[in-house]
Amino acid sequence: MAGRSHSLRRYLFTRIALAIPMLLILLTLVFLLMRVAPGDPISAALGGRLPQAELDRRRAEAGYDQPLIQQYLEYLGDVATFDFGTTIVDNRAVTDVIVQNGAATLELTLAAMVIAMVTGLTIGALSGRFRDTSIDVGGRLFGIVIYAAPVFYLGFLAQLVFGKWLGWLPTSGRASPVVTFELETKTNLFLVDAAITGNGEAFVDVLEHLVMPATVLGLVIGGVFIRLVRVNLIQTLKGDYVEAARARGVTERNVVMRHAFKNALVPVVTVVGLQFALLLSGAVLTEQTFNWPGIGSELVRYLDNRDYIAVQGIITFAGLVVVFVSLLIDVVNAWIDPRVRF
Amino acid sequence: MRRRGRFAATLAVFALVLAACGSDEPGDDTGGTTGEPAPATDATIIHGTTDSIVSLDPAGQYDFGSNQISQQVYSTLLEVPAGGTDPEPALATSCESEDSTVYTCTLQEGLTFSDGSALTSEDVAFSFQRNIEIDDPQGACSLLASLATCGKWKEGAIETPDDTTVVFNLQAPNAVWPAVLTTSAAFIVPSDSYPADSLQPDDQVIGSGRYTLAEYRPGEQVVLEANPSFYGDPPLNARVFVQYFKQSSALKLALEQGEIDIGWRTFTPTDVSSLEGAEGLNVLEGPGGEIRYFAFNLSLPPGDELAVRQAAAMLVDRQAIVDNVYEGTVEPLYSMLPAGFGGHTEAFAERYGEGPDPDGAAQVLEDADVQTPVELELWYTPTHYGDASADEYAEIERQLEADGLFDVTLESTEWDQYTEDAFTDGYPAYQLGWFPDYVDGDNYISSFYSSASFLNLHYANDRVDELIGVEQASTDDAEREAAFEEIQEITAEEAPIIPIWQGTQLAIVRDGVTGVEETLDPTYIFRYWLIGKSE
Repeated sequence: MAGRSHSLRRYLFTRIALAIPMLLILLTLVFLLMRVAPGDPISAALGGRLPQAELDRRRAEAGYDQPLIQQYLEYLGDVATFDFGTTIVDNRAVTDVIVQNGAATLELTLAAMVIAMVTGLTIGALSGRFRDTSIDVGGRLFGIVIYAAPVFYLGFLAQLVFGKWLGWLPTSGRASPVVTFELETKTNLFLVDAAITGNGEAFVDVLEHLVMPATVLGLVIGGVFIRLVRVNLIQTLKGDYVEAARARGVTERNVVMRHAFKNALVPVVTVVGLQFALLLSGAVLTEQTFNWPGIGSELVRYLDNRDYIAVQGIITFAGLVVVFVSLLIDVVNAWIDPRVRF
Repeated sequence: MRRRGRFAATLAVFALVLAACGSDEPGDDTGGTTGEPAPATDATIIHGTTDSIVSLDPAGQYDFGSNQISQQVYSTLLEVPAGGTDPEPALATSCESEDSTVYTCTLQEGLTFSDGSALTSEDVAFSFQRNIEIDDPQGACSLLASLATCGKWKEGAIETPDDTTVVFNLQAPNAVWPAVLTTSAAFIVPSDSYPADSLQPDDQVIGSGRYTLAEYRPGEQVVLEANPSFYGDPPLNARVFVQYFKQSSALKLALEQGEIDIGWRTFTPTDVSSLEGAEGLNVLEGPGGEIRYFAFNLSLPPGDELAVRQAAAMLVDRQAIVDNVYEGTVEPLYSMLPAGFGGHTEAFAERYGEGPDPDGAAQVLEDADVQTPVELELWYTPTHYGDASADEYAEIERQLEADGLFDVTLESTEWDQYTEDAFTDGYPAYQLGWFPDYVDGDNYISSFYSSASFLNLHYANDRVDELIGVEQASTDDAEREAAFEEIQEITAEEAPIIPIWQGTQLAIVRDGVTGVEETLDPTYIFRYWLIGKSE
């Protein structure tokens, strides 16, 4: 037992040590890519609107007249202190954008992942367990179709059916205007805020707004999981230890659920984690379709306005999230599958 | 487009006296500034829009979305009432001038900001000075050019002999200065709360308007609440929610579902058509001063040839654009001065006819020995003016190429890159649009045809500059209209700019919402305070 925990700790240290150069490479790439674009952020956003002298003054004020290496070191220092600067277009601290809009994205992502996991694991497991039956065909077909359908198309269909025609669900935003205003926000996750403040009416309202975008996004991601779980379950069911379990008289239900299914999930964890990290960077199309005030739609707006400071800040943050989640996935994988550590 | 009216100061010799209209003192009917009138109703209005906010500080805004909210939160010395065109007293009881150079404005007694601090002439002077000194690239200090050059405050430009008197000493006579005092550049901010050299954070704005800003969630929501210390009539509602939508399709769905009460700016023509006759919804139309046009850069081929510009003017079929692209929701425009403004003429229709004239265009090109097809690179921006721009310019391309006289290459790019290139000789011909800064024909004429125009078309005509000087200096309507008419005639002949269409304003409201029609006027100020809900 001591050996197991020792190897896990060693793996963890190794993995964190590897994350540092990964992080540096990522930050360097972001920094360089933003400098490859013609001009500097000040010129890009304000060029043509200010006299050259004023542009030069602002460039100097922002440090863009400094040698590249000095700018790079300052950039690293800012990132280390979570200071991503202030947007040029609307004078918002980028950290505010990340906190406010990032929370909206996180809420949508978490809900979508729950739906994706439930859908993907259930249908994937059934398809794998009942391979080549009508259940399997149906499950695979559903997985392919739902994955292939553009998320904005599914979203629009859902809006028409459940919003416009049936009138069951609201079609846009995180909450109704009054709830958005009156809800006491502690975490910026509206559902959590409504729950911890005991505001039942707001909770229902937020949930109603969340259902449609989360379901649409969750189903699309779920399409990937369906295929992944099915394939892995089929592979696992062919394993010797599964045969051995069957030979010992273990019921088929227990063979699948207690032996095969858990092991089949190991590779799924990696994909789930990476998908989660990608979504945190912004489910742009879903956010646009449902007027969801997430970080992805803000990134698009800043890109449109060539606000490179905002874009650099948001991309840096997204990169940090991906690095952190990757690290987390590796640790979880190592924890549930000791072979990974060696 | 992002409005960039350049307000050139010109000669004037008239005295202008603006006296209070209707009542001697604004706010009399509500007890002036001594009482705290409660909102007339406790209605809550929810307005949905696709506009966005750049800044809520008057020194940092020159865009539609920011101005829309600021109009509710701030006050100006003068304001244009709903349906009106002339400035009337607001914070000031009067603004008088004998020579159109020195304007003396007298403030109401006892004015306060929404935070309770007193509003005095010092605040007025501070507001103008900081706007000019900050000279924010997103700001509208260019509107105050008569007072001082952007970025360079001129000592003595404003005097404040006492708490209620403000004296503007303009650099040159300007008869339309009162109209400038109604614009976003002239919002008054408190000198003890706003920084003199930087912008106020958007969630900390303080004004003396009809509402206070209760909440601002960028890109998502603005909440306005009736300002109990407002000097005039209280709003017809207690609270206004402004919900921001990224796409008009989402705005339309929210309206259909009853999530919002009012949809105003911007629907696609298809949206409007599908909402007409929808149960529980009413499409309201009002006059608007929004225009669209495309401009030639006269320093670049092929627009440097007069014949090419004239041929293009002859080939554009405005009615087809109105019918095919905008489904009749806009009107053809035959002058840069839209219908409804004094002095408007149908100059392009008179000069080139209403319909396309391919024979005339071919003749003009042949007479000038211009080789056909004329290669024309025509630029537009795909989202800034709404989703219909691509269709509009595809239609214009089709019209210009229909008879083989032009070979058009359509190009497009997003707004920020677009403005930078368009105004620095990057595009031979390009799309633009315009909303009025103030309701006066000058805003549509001097902005485009002055040799100092922000468009940088390299168009200069001494007679046009002279006439612009005349209309800016004069307070005689007949004289001004005569000047406008001659300018339109000259510029139609020289055709540096081809007007395309004039928009009407469309708002779509749910049953029971009142007062919206009243505020749909050419000022483009959506006056929430006039909007109520019937029981």
